Amino acid sequence: MSEETVDVLIVGAGAAGAAIAWSLADTRMNVLCMEQGDWMDPAQYPSTRLDWDLGRFGEFGLSPNSRGRETDYPVNDSGSPIQISNFNAVGGSTILYAGHFPRFHPGDFRVRSLDGVGDDWPIDYETLAPYYDVNARMMGVAGLAGDPAYPPKSVPLPPVPLGKLGETLAGGFNQLGWHWWPSDSAIATQEYEGRAPCINLGPCLTGCAQGAKGSTDVTYWPAATRKGVRLATRCRVREVTIGADGLADGVLYYDAEGVERRQRAEIVIVACNGVGTPRLLLNSASATHPNGLANSSGLVGKNFMFHPYAMITGIFDDPLEGYKGPTGCCIMSQEFYETDLSRGFSRGYTLETTRGMGAVSTSMLGMGTGRVPWGEGHHEAFAQLHDRTAGMVAICEDLPEEHNRVTLDPELVDSNGVPSPKIDYTLSENSRKMCDHAVARGREVLEAAGAKEVLGEPLLAVAGWHLMGTARMGTDPATSVVNEWGRCHDVKNLFVVDGSVFVTSAGVNPTNTLQAFALYVADRIKNNLENLFD
Amino acid sequence: MSEAYEALSPDQSRALTAVLDEIIPPSRDGRLPGAGALGLAAAIEDKMREQPILQPAVVGGLETLAALAREAGAGNFADVAAGERVDLLNRLAADAPAFLPGLIFQTYTTYYHQAAVLEGLGIPGRPPHPEGYPVAPSDESLLDAVRDRGPVYRQP
Ligand SMILES: Cc1cc2nc3c(=O)[nH]c(=O)nc-3n(C[C@H](O)[C@H](O)[C@H](O)COP(=O)(O)OP(=O)(O)OC[C@H]3O[C@@H](n4cnc5c(N)ncnc54)[C@H](O)[C@@H]3O)c2cc1C
Repeated sequence: MSEETVDVLIVGAGAAGAAIAWSLADTRMNVLCMEQGDWMDPAQYPSTRLDWDLGRFGEFGLSPNSRGRETDYPVNDSGSPIQISNFNAVGGSTILYAGHFPRFHPGDFRVRSLDGVGDDWPIDYETLAPYYDVNARMMGVAGLAGDPAYPPKSVPLPPVPLGKLGETLAGGFNQLGWHWWPSDSAIATQEYEGRAPCINLGPCLTGCAQGAKGSTDVTYWPAATRKGVRLATRCRVREVTIGADGLADGVLYYDAEGVERRQRAEIVIVACNGVGTPRLLLNSASATHPNGLANSSGLVGKNFMFHPYAMITGIFDDPLEGYKGPTGCCIMSQEFYETDLSRGFSRGYTLETTRGMGAVSTSMLGMGTGRVPWGEGHHEAFAQLHDRTAGMVAICEDLPEEHNRVTLDPELVDSNGVPSPKIDYTLSENSRKMCDHAVARGREVLEAAGAKEVLGEPLLAVAGWHLMGTARMGTDPATSVVNEWGRCHDVKNLFVVDGSVFVTSAGVNPTNTLQAFALYVADRIKNNLENLFD
Repeated sequence: MSEAYEALSPDQSRALTAVLDEIIPPSRDGRLPGAGALGLAAAIEDKMREQPILQPAVVGGLETLAALAREAGAGNFADVAAGERVDLLNRLAADAPAFLPGLIFQTYTTYYHQAAVLEGLGIPGRPPHPEGYPVAPSDESLLDAVRDRGPVYRQP
């Protein structure tokens, strides 16, 4: 690889890297993607084992710090009340994601104009709408047309069945007259493009052994490699290098044996996610870019946004068959999505219902809350909880704040000695009020659905899985890192296409939008090849 | 892995099995076995072999328990009269505080993924994959009220 200069080098084979690789393969360009992780083997996913419920504590855990895989890099998130959750492999974090796949609302691109907070995006909903459609087709999105929370949109597959649990919760929403709708889900509900249909295994968050969940190792990557894109695994990129002309000329990376190598490229695209991307740009500091690459604005790593998650769980009298069906894909409500200042905060959130728990998790909940004692009475107490929990999470819109940031840790390094990211994040008052509001509304709807008891957790510490804002887009190089089509203001052949570019976070899961953006950038590149670096 | 791992003696295994049956006894209706009778002592030993850090607390706890059993006039916790065992375990909780919470955690998380237990709970005693679970299609008329309200988003 070292002697050759490729036309396009993509770093990161997750959600965004896969989408842009597939689209750029339409050209005759020589496209290479470097990924630090491996291809996954679905036969090894925990749902193939009886002890699947314990999978999330081992090598399929949420945190790279506890997972113990050598393909991970550690993250110092001790300065944040929310911990980083990701996955490093072909497919990236989509290996673990729930596949809840909403779009942003049109208003999410105009937050400053509508509500006087955050900033407006330099693109709008209409710009991304055709790419949302392409992405729905490629990822295999299931859902139901006609959701009154959105402009009309295409959904190629029928919705994930609600099951007894979903219908019970829907009853609660109906009783209160609140919006709800079957979730758009990147889950093949029928045989689709060679993918087997969902058979309601349950534990999507530790990988889908059926291949029904749209992680990009089973969606974009097979299609991209068929079109000629090369994907090199176990290549950990340390830095993007700059030539004498001020353009990116390639990367330095470590191969599987830990040997440092160089790969030359005409165009470099970074798709390492909202934490991995600023880490790479900051690690690419040089004499000409002493504060990190593409960082003349000083904003690389700043304005870091999560979606603070609240979790609300109801305990019901009757069994709900909650172990059947995709964990995070059932119904969602956007009753509290748009700003209503009488609630005490700006912007809003989505309520995403979640299915029930496995028996092991139920026993742990019982142990942790003192509801299921050992000894006499154990079975009776367990039966009160088992298959009787249902709930929801609230995905709260976080607003950009410069002090929330990703920097390089002065001491922590990965197995190749590359400095690790450090997170400094404080939950804003606006987000805190929103989380509290969500717990109160979640309680109301669960009670309306028949819950006899409701447990509320205003901030889910493990839920740092939506990583955004750390290389924001904009038209002004002084206040943004990339332009409106992902090209770095400072380095004209360097692009960023993941959640780092988000100006604001919206109150929905980000993957559909960041992939639509990656597809849009690919089209801009394809249509401007003649004068791409002007 | 520690080289110092020492298997439990037959006496200790017997006591551990009896303790497990106290933590999760058989259900009254007989559908769910006790954790000891289910053979979880071997699974707990396997865990200790994998994670030797667990061993001192378990072995220490079993030694204290053996001493308490002797005080109660029995050679082994398993020989203590059924009605007195819980008392002894409560005393153990005071004398060896690290033992019971850790063992309860291991017992719960091991017990609840055994095929016999899942079947007793009315769930198929198999991994979710490859058979999965059927779920009937949903009743879309539930959405009528939502549709009737019309659009609920803002156009900028
Ligand atoms: C448990 C969990 C649940 C989630 N649920 C949802 C959901 O329901 N809906 C939703 O929209 N989103 C969800 N997400 C978030 C979703 O997975 C991410 O938004 C999405 O994967 C981000 O895409 P990306 O391409 O930016 O980054 P990733 O998918 O994280 O991919 C980045 C890739 O870059 C690689 N990489 C990083 N640095 C380097 C380097 N220096 N050299 C080489 N390779 C590198 C990594 O190994 C990784 O494979 C969830 C995430 C998790 C962890």
